[in-house]
Amino acid sequence: MVMGDIATATDLLVIGAGPGGYVAAIRGAQKGLDTTLVEKGAFGGACLNRGCIPSKAFIHGADVAHDAANAEDIGIHADPAVDMSRMQEWKSGVVDQLTGGVEKLCKANGVSLLEGTASFEDEHTARIAHGGEGQGMETVEFEHAVVATGSRPIQIPGFDFADDPVLSSEDLLAMDSLPDRLVVVGAGYIGMELSTMLAKLGTDVTVVEMLDDVLPGYEDDVQRTIRSRAEDLGIEFNFGEGATGWEDTGDGVVVSTETEDGETAEYLGDAVLVAVGRQPVTDTLELESIGLEPNENGFLATDDRARTDVENVFAVGDVAGEPMLAHKASAEGIVAAEVAAGEPAALDQQAIPAAVFTDPEIATVGMTREEAENDGFDPVVGEMPLRASGRALSMGESEGFVRIVADEESGIVLGGQLVGPNASELVAEVALAVEMSATLEDVAGTVHTHPTLAEAVMEAAENAQGQAIHTLNR
Amino acid sequence: MVERTFELPDLGEGIAEGELVSWLVAEGESVVEDQVIAEVETDKALVEIPSPQEGTIARLHYDEGEIVPVDAVFVTFDVAGEEGEEVTDVADGEVADESSEPTETAETADTVAAETPGVESDEAATGEDDVESAGPADDAPVPSGRVFAAPSTRSLARELGVDLAAVDGSGPGGRVTDADVRAHADGTSAEAASAAVVTGSAAATADGTESAATVAPADAGAVDIQEGGAASTSGPAAGAPASTPTADRDRTLGMPATRRLADELGVDLDAVPASEEREGEPFVTPEDVRQFAAGGSADTAAESSTAPAETTEAGASTVSVGGEDGGAGETAPEVSAGRKSSGAGTGADVEARSGERVPYRGVRRTIGEQMAQSKYTAPHVSHHDEFDATELVELRKELAAVADDEGVKLTYLPLVVKAVTAALQEYPYLNSSLDEENEEIVLHDEYNVGIAVSTDAGLMVPVIKNADEKGLKQLAEEIQDLAERARNRKIKPEEMQGGTFTITNIGVIGGEFSSPIINHPEAAIFAMGPIKERPWVVDSEVVARETMRFSMSVDHRLVDGADAARFSNRVKELLVEPSRLLLE
Repeated sequence: MVMGDIATATDLLVIGAGPGGYVAAIRGAQKGLDTTLVEKGAFGGACLNRGCIPSKAFIHGADVAHDAANAEDIGIHADPAVDMSRMQEWKSGVVDQLTGGVEKLCKANGVSLLEGTASFEDEHTARIAHGGEGQGMETVEFEHAVVATGSRPIQIPGFDFADDPVLSSEDLLAMDSLPDRLVVVGAGYIGMELSTMLAKLGTDVTVVEMLDDVLPGYEDDVQRTIRSRAEDLGIEFNFGEGATGWEDTGDGVVVSTETEDGETAEYLGDAVLVAVGRQPVTDTLELESIGLEPNENGFLATDDRARTDVENVFAVGDVAGEPMLAHKASAEGIVAAEVAAGEPAALDQQAIPAAVFTDPEIATVGMTREEAENDGFDPVVGEMPLRASGRALSMGESEGFVRIVADEESGIVLGGQLVGPNASELVAEVALAVEMSATLEDVAGTVHTHPTLAEAVMEAAENAQGQAIHTLNR
Repeated sequence: MVERTFELPDLGEGIAEGELVSWLVAEGESVVEDQVIAEVETDKALVEIPSPQEGTIARLHYDEGEIVPVDAVFVTFDVAGEEGEEVTDVADGEVADESSEPTETAETADTVAAETPGVESDEAATGEDDVESAGPADDAPVPSGRVFAAPSTRSLARELGVDLAAVDGSGPGGRVTDADVRAHADGTSAEAASAAVVTGSAAATADGTESAATVAPADAGAVDIQEGGAASTSGPAAGAPASTPTADRDRTLGMPATRRLADELGVDLDAVPASEEREGEPFVTPEDVRQFAAGGSADTAAESSTAPAETTEAGASTVSVGGEDGGAGETAPEVSAGRKSSGAGTGADVEARSGERVPYRGVRRTIGEQMAQSKYTAPHVSHHDEFDATELVELRKELAAVADDEGVKLTYLPLVVKAVTAALQEYPYLNSSLDEENEEIVLHDEYNVGIAVSTDAGLMVPVIKNADEKGLKQLAEEIQDLAERARNRKIKPEEMQGGTFTITNIGVIGGEFSSPIINHPEAAIFAMGPIKERPWVVDSEVVARETMRFSMSVDHRLVDGADAARFSNRVKELLVEPSRLLLE
């Protein structure tokens, strides 16, 4: 210990106050552990400050403007003016309310909050460097530590986020005014959400994607629905091309790309958004002090109790591996805290749902038909197209579907894929069914409110049993 | 020197564990083969454990007073020679159970082990124990691969240290339910116990270590009847505290799916023994329904053999439903019981209470289970009466003087036995049992009278076989001998079986009346009060007379109150004028 250090002891040290860390801290405190939560930036982590929440706020704003401007069919004629800096303020208000809430919750649960960057000294000691010159250091001795340092956007060669026209998703969500033209590198879920939002707000969006379709990894019909809607919004796609560099021409930014065969192309924009993924943050932790090393993908490997190879050190959230989703982080944080408190918790979830807030929304949970087959099941699939849903039509939506995958023999629900308005909400029911090992009969036998989109889940379950009322059964 | 481990051998049918009463050897001591090294108390007897071989005691794995499961390693020997041999299990030793008769130990327990799946499941259970015994936070298994179970069920499994992958799901689509997990968790003890009973009944003739082996194949019918008869009363699964085994509830809780299942299987839900309780009400699980419907699944079979075993346990009873089994003395063999965890429902608010905590085991638990089964199965109706015992007192005085010369202590009890057996012959329903399975009442053709004996360990009921054929002196001698051996735990299990009626003498301790609990599955029990001077009306005058008050309980399913009263009157008649006994 360095002279002048303040040393404190804690049962549970949580590093990072994102959805993995703050949840772990609160649960740890609830379980009677003396808990300390260290955060170098803002409570709530990337999700609340620079990710999920701000993007959803803007997406909502974009939807309001876009829907108003495109409601001639239902007799509404409007030309909304978008005040981006006002929208930014409103978004910040939402974020502040949430992050303030996180801080209050932590305090109310008796979590000690520390501001600073934590690094390991040994398996029971961490040093916290407070931000800013001369703010000093302090030492925390801990029984258990939870690493919840999250992730940051990946940079690609030739595109440095330090350069003004090169934007990360986080930079974009902080802008007070929107570019008229934007080149987006990456058609994954972040690229697609932001492209859709920007297109709705009037930006000309050109997407460059190395693979051959949007949302790599999703099923064809999902990709098709999203791509076609995005094209309707005026988004231009260039698949099979990798971005190689950019140049400021004075008239804007020219992004150059190259195909596998060496063909090159150039796309003009006012800025370039690089949204090719996120990478875990481990470089500030001095993991070597405790003999830990990230795996080849940069993640900290964990067991089914969220423990790293160092028994009293847990890792949760993005730093612990895919999928990099806030709710996965929270679920892991809870398990880590409970295990630290000596309880028999474990990461035994059947499935982690995922949602993409494109237009329409996509949500998935558990297995697709193909995954079920690969897993040795004999799957049966039921589907309800939303064009047969009274609620969808009355919302002016006819695209999308609810699909449910079950084991044919037992009828147990294995997964679902949903495309449509509020799919991110609808998936919760399918997730519950998967988690409970509910059967198709259970889902179909649950009375659903009419008229709602959720009825489609029930119908899909009936369809899987060959007895849907509102769709033709195969 | 080579180390060899010695596991606690089979202590008798269905006995899953024993309390280590005392070590007769110390670590480092040399022993010879067959030297008694420990005394283990089981439900019914003090069993001496002989050393399986010559050698030196390397380690004693248990302390006196601890409960040792059968098949648990409890001694390690250092054995000379045998270099290169691995540590071997020599648990094939035969137990010198007090009750075993040398001629019957023809086959070794090895044979039994080889033939009975019970042994395997024991081992499997033990293996699981090993894996799961460590702290749940660290090492509770987490299912690998896909197991269908709700999050709450998975959490329960972790808490109980159950590997979900090893649990057969009984829910829709094979989903694992909470009940499945609990049953699996209990399974380590319950399965072992029931398996052991299966061992006992299925391989009774092979199990030479038990006197039970006296059952000849010809008795199989009787055995079947007994097991069958008990099957329907044996429903309550492990941990069912107060479920009504006879399945005749007015109200039963169950999930809709369970009700549907019951409908499908044509089972009356109110008739299904409940394995759980919810808010104080019996709660039937799908598994219960299936078991009840199947009636012959492995579990049920194990249970049904468990139940009669329990009813015949040393502690309190004398069962022979198999009345057709005419062979004197060689009644049905069930000796003991598989242990089921008990009292889960009632323990809730007791759990936290302070005070000395005495293990509920052995004879105490046997009595408890036996009594609970009787009381919950048989609707008891009580009958009390009193008679002028003047002549009885005088007769006994005269006879006692004579008997005394011959070294026999004649109490009132033989006289009462005499009167009771005489009356039983006139009222056969008092000497019957209900074979619930076959819906038949078995009117026993022998009069085997159990005598309740209070011992340090608790109530025991040795049985005087064919009491009707024996004279007063012989009865007196037998009672004295049986009671004495019951008190010092030297009584053989079969000497406490086969009863058809029980007499308890509360008078020796005090009190006037009691409401005794029938020794299930007998039909009645007779409790003698003390004989003493009491005001008595003779020719309209109140005079002091020696009188006896007595109480009876009868199973109202078999005997109505009026018959009980008539029987009681007949007993009274014979005892008021005991010379009438000469005519009997």
